[in-house]
Amino acid sequence: MAAVPVSVITGFLGSGKTTLLARLLRDPAFARTAVIVNEFGEVGLDHLLVEVSDEEIVLLDSGCMCCSVRGDLVRTAGSLLARRAAGAIAPFERIVIETTGLADPAPILQALMTDPAIADALCLESVIATVDAAAGAATLDAHPESVKQAAIADRIVFTKTDLGDPRSNGLAERVDALNPAAPKLIAVHGAVDASRLFGGRAQANGPDVRAWLAAEAVPRDSADHAHGHAAGRNDDAVTTFCLRRSTPLHAVTLSLFLQVLAEHCGARLLRLKGLVDVLESPGRPAVIHGVQHVFHPPAWLDAWPDEDCTTRIVVIALGLDPLWFEALLDALDGEVAALQAGAAAAAGAPTAREG
Amino acid sequence: MASKRFGTGRRAEARRRLRPAYDSLVLYDAAWQRRTSSVLSGALGIWGVAATVAPDPENANGFVIALPTGAAIRVSHSAPAGWAVTLREPGFGEEAGPDRHAGLPGLLWRLREALAPDAPSGRLVIGAQQLHGRDAAAR
Repeated sequence: MAAVPVSVITGFLGSGKTTLLARLLRDPAFARTAVIVNEFGEVGLDHLLVEVSDEEIVLLDSGCMCCSVRGDLVRTAGSLLARRAAGAIAPFERIVIETTGLADPAPILQALMTDPAIADALCLESVIATVDAAAGAATLDAHPESVKQAAIADRIVFTKTDLGDPRSNGLAERVDALNPAAPKLIAVHGAVDASRLFGGRAQANGPDVRAWLAAEAVPRDSADHAHGHAAGRNDDAVTTFCLRRSTPLHAVTLSLFLQVLAEHCGARLLRLKGLVDVLESPGRPAVIHGVQHVFHPPAWLDAWPDEDCTTRIVVIALGLDPLWFEALLDALDGEVAALQAGAAAAAGAPTAREG
Repeated sequence: MASKRFGTGRRAEARRRLRPAYDSLVLYDAAWQRRTSSVLSGALGIWGVAATVAPDPENANGFVIALPTGAAIRVSHSAPAGWAVTLREPGFGEEAGPDRHAGLPGLLWRLREALAPDAPSGRLVIGAQQLHGRDAAAR
């Protein structure tokens, strides 16, 4: 049975997550969607607003999803899958998780990626962040959580556009600087082009990989990452950049690079996506994806998704210098190349580069 | 920092035999200096350590990390990927070290341990979930 795609809808309190979800669920194309929401506060208002049959709604018991996600989410998703397999509920084709407005989406993604009880049956499809078109700028200023939610997303939906125009009040430009790779959608009373909201996971060999990576939207030069807006705002600390290499990387280099990032950057590495030309795997690039220190196993494509056969690694980070990433990647590859070439020379064998 | 013996016996002999092959493979040029200095100074910034990184005037393969306290850490590269770390504390007289570490990851780990033991650290976790889902993974 194919893995069930799971998407996460995040966004600050009152940014219209539930309105968006409710509209989506009215669309017949999303009838077979199971929804996991969680209560926040004493009354689960969000739940009451979602118009979908009881069997397909599961409420998490605890208040804040980011604090209890590893237990509750895994248990809830596992329960949904088991009931689906047993025929006790409709055979849903997608799961959507709506986070609380205060939730850090990273632990949610990590739970989905790592827990063996559900990881095999699910695949991460998309992270969607809602941003209030009228109050979004003030929210970004006041709440670092909202910056992280927007920075980590695959898609950003501007909501409440009847109250404010994100293109004229500067919000769109600000969010674009924060997360240039994510497509920006406009919702009108919760209605949005659903076909652009979901999908886009790193499908093997499909053009979706390119759309998923969206490296073209990220500044070419890591030194150009500065956003050019007033200093001191929460989003000033977020840098989005793309590491590019026209020569293949050693597999060991890639492994060491991710290891160093995980060891030293921790939670400041918000997200990393990449399409990597690996020396030992010519013509079959590796797709990598990580959230903070947690990564998927690399996926290997049968071919490059487009004519660009070079390494592109998109990084979204908090307070980290892109030039450090550049230097680290080169320095590690230099060490690995020297080690392998030296060992090959000592053994009288040709090096990998020599074939 | 505790001093450790490293590279004795048969392994050391093997290393000595390989040395000529390795030595010609690392070019300690300006680009190497700049790149390595960037890695070290960037790491110090990530750990929140106020220190400067400068080329070691006594060693073209090395750097001196100077702390405001007057302490200094001398790091020295030997091809292909070995790093020696020596600590010089003012007032302590003797130098401590060198410790030897294989590769930049080991060097960075050792420096953080010495300079910022309380800095947040993590470890790489490879999750159970395939990026493409179960079907694609089985291809």
